[in-house]
Amino acid sequence: MSVELLKITDLTVSFPNKDGSLHTVVDHLNLEVRKGQIVGIVGESGSGKSMTSLAVMGLLSEDAIVDPCSSIRFNGMELLSMSGDERRKVQGNTMSMIFQEPMTSLNPVIRIKDQVGEVLKLHTDLSDEEIYKKVEEALNNVGIHDVPELMDKYPHQLSGGQRQRVMIAMAIINDPDVLIADEPTTALDVTVQAQILKLLKKINEVTGCAILFISHDLNVIKEVCQRVIVMYKGVIVEQGRALTVLKSPQHEYTKRLVASMPDKAEPQISQEKILHAENLSVYYPVKKGLFSSGAKHSAYVHEVSFDIYNNEIFGIVGESGCGKSTLVKAIVGINKDITGTLEINDERPQMVFQDPYSSLNPAKKIGWIMEEPLKLKGVRDRAERKKLVNEMLNEIGLDESYADRGISELSGGQRQRISIGLSLMRGDKFIIADEPVSALDVTVQSQILKLLLKLHDERDLTYIFISHDLNVVRHMCNRIMVMYLGRVVELADVNELYTNARHPYTRFLFDSVIGEDAKKIPEGVKPAEVVETKGGCSFYPRCRYRCDKCREQMPDLIDIGSEDTSAGPGRPHMLRCFKDITKETPEVNRISELPEGKLRQ
Amino acid sequence: MRYFLKKLSSLIITLLVISLLSFAAFSVIPGDAALAKLGTDATPEAVEQLREKYGLDKPLPERYLKWLAGAVQGDFGASYRYSTKTVSELIASRLPVTVIMAVMSFIIIIGVSIPLGIIAAKYSHKPPDTVINVGSQVTMAIPSFFLGIIITYIFGIILNLFKAGDYISPQKDFWACVRYLIFPSIAVALPKIAMVVKYLRNSLLAEVNKDYVRTAYSKGNTKDQVFKKHIFRNALIPVITFVAMVAAEILAGSLVIEQVFGIKGMGNLLVTSISSRDYPVVQAAVIYITSVVVIINFAVDILYQLADPRVRYS
Repeated sequence: MSVELLKITDLTVSFPNKDGSLHTVVDHLNLEVRKGQIVGIVGESGSGKSMTSLAVMGLLSEDAIVDPCSSIRFNGMELLSMSGDERRKVQGNTMSMIFQEPMTSLNPVIRIKDQVGEVLKLHTDLSDEEIYKKVEEALNNVGIHDVPELMDKYPHQLSGGQRQRVMIAMAIINDPDVLIADEPTTALDVTVQAQILKLLKKINEVTGCAILFISHDLNVIKEVCQRVIVMYKGVIVEQGRALTVLKSPQHEYTKRLVASMPDKAEPQISQEKILHAENLSVYYPVKKGLFSSGAKHSAYVHEVSFDIYNNEIFGIVGESGCGKSTLVKAIVGINKDITGTLEINDERPQMVFQDPYSSLNPAKKIGWIMEEPLKLKGVRDRAERKKLVNEMLNEIGLDESYADRGISELSGGQRQRISIGLSLMRGDKFIIADEPVSALDVTVQSQILKLLLKLHDERDLTYIFISHDLNVVRHMCNRIMVMYLGRVVELADVNELYTNARHPYTRFLFDSVIGEDAKKIPEGVKPAEVVETKGGCSFYPRCRYRCDKCREQMPDLIDIGSEDTSAGPGRPHMLRCFKDITKETPEVNRISELPEGKLRQ
Repeated sequence: MRYFLKKLSSLIITLLVISLLSFAAFSVIPGDAALAKLGTDATPEAVEQLREKYGLDKPLPERYLKWLAGAVQGDFGASYRYSTKTVSELIASRLPVTVIMAVMSFIIIIGVSIPLGIIAAKYSHKPPDTVINVGSQVTMAIPSFFLGIIITYIFGIILNLFKAGDYISPQKDFWACVRYLIFPSIAVALPKIAMVVKYLRNSLLAEVNKDYVRTAYSKGNTKDQVFKKHIFRNALIPVITFVAMVAAEILAGSLVIEQVFGIKGMGNLLVTSISSRDYPVVQAAVIYITSVVVIINFAVDILYQLADPRVRYS
């Protein structure tokens, strides 16, 4: 029996430019996926990796031109010479695809059971009842718990992880020979990411379905793939066994891709507080009805206390819904509905956002955008403003010519540079960077992080750095605060936290990271047993170390003292947990998986 | 239940505000019904007498409350102009033809614009789209009185399919009325069709590049299936509001088309009542139009919930 499954030879895909010339996005690509294999394609945006997958799947847009010499053979058939009808018999049947953004990739107005069942409707003669039965089975197989309930729901009622599981169920329900996964975990939380990867590996082992795995994240590729292909500007620059390629890259580009993160300067511990929060709670109005008297409140952040010192880089980590964005909104003054103390020494800090494109005015030139804060500050002289803008453009690694460009002419990294420059133009020393690099390519990420560190050192800046990427946080921050469901669960110096994490949730986060060494994904995924906690610890339902006391009572945040002394003796290590988990063996049976959808209270 | 109570109360509040405003507006305008009826040559005594008869000598708040008390019981008073008829009778005689014509136009609008919108979107920037686009531009640009004249000329005079000016009221002969109303309904519908087609086409095209559409293709759907099963319902959501606005407009009565085709509907009644300062009739017509708009808005809310689960479950 042949092992050949998918063989791409000399695939060349181009798009016509406005002037009639061709712009090649995939250039003579050769690639083979054998039965049961997981092959990774890695590269940054514009490398042609997604175009390759779309070409295989037959989803290229109408204006794409596939070179006639190209060939994609699948199960012994030539896909590129197939008619539309023949092609559709393959799509969703023997070959299926999962996409990056599970929210937008599902149809918002169709029930889950019908969306998943549609594939069966198209490719089999099963009756509706048989289809729903198979859908239930598939949803069970991808680790969804309350299947009967979920069948009738709509995508917006699901959590991000559940949605991606639904996508996967949809893709595997017809038992395909190959599954194309295009950045399937990029849009997900760290902990969910690990579970989805594990699920894909399991599907591969159990069903023998081959996977073509596309990602920009080397750690993810290393975790799941046997072979890897590195693409750069439409061509393969390197390929081989995943571990070999990523451990000892040969090509310049791969080396850059693998290159380590920038390193921060050693922290100098300043005593000058720049921000002081004590018992700070932040509220959101829940519902304003015509007849209900007054808006009801719901606290999203519960009594957090922390200080931020001058010149430090303070990290905040936690899953989506943990309250970090809410907290930040209170700090910059967007949300004024707070109780407790919030003192900020200087002016309110400036924000640098994840997506600079939507936070910059697309109708204006960059010069105008950057001059605006100067005008507001009262710099009247035009030439003076221009000079300051030019200086700043140089400072952020661009040059004067950028002043005349519009936002749409810039790349993601350049936009992020502009938005960093913009917050500095206002002359502030205190900056909040909310996921500033998570929308960027890996190589660009490290440039932006380097820029942030450079500016930090040169200009004595203070950052609050929010990220879900624990590798980035580790390299950037001096101190880290871990939040869970609106509460601080642990707060310590970075080295202390990474070597001596004491809260079960912090451990769980770290274990979920696909680390630099081949990693252990948290074991024992059992159906979530969501337990009502009446005033108890909010992490209780997911905690593997829980005891009766935690159910009844919320632990206080107390200083247990830092074990790591690299930042000086007697540094604080704040922890909200009754247990000394370093001495405990977890009761494995109790490990519960993310109770998805129940994260928000 | 709570929801309905809320909607009902907002309907009542809107009606109160609008009726008060229109009442106030007419008392500000110089000249009144008595003067209009008797003419400028009338003796002041005669005018004063008529005023007293209509109750126009009373202060505004008193008149409003009196009117309101009657209106609540369905009694909108007597018409000044047609002294033998009550307002309710007048409305009852005019409303049916307007409603019939509105329903007919609406059916034509929906029946024609949905397929055309889909075709235009499916073949965007290709010949079918271009033809539809040019057709829409033309029908939108023609003033409606002119459109009415053209239709009368072509279908009435050349093709002899109906007799212009030979209007029969539905109370007299329902089906004859319906037959007569076909062409006026087309005249009302045409410009609206053009707008709905444009709106639907753009709404469909906005969906075409969404991620879920790509997912639908990846399952092996044909283009037709993707449009029918996936895109259409999503694209319809923003169109609902627009179509509802159109419905409210045609239910209010088309002044121009009624005039051109000699139809005695609400539009016609409203125009003649305003010019003769027949306040009780105008007031009732205002209440009718306001109710139509509010009730249609209510219907839109419900349709939205049916079409979009994100609204239903939030």
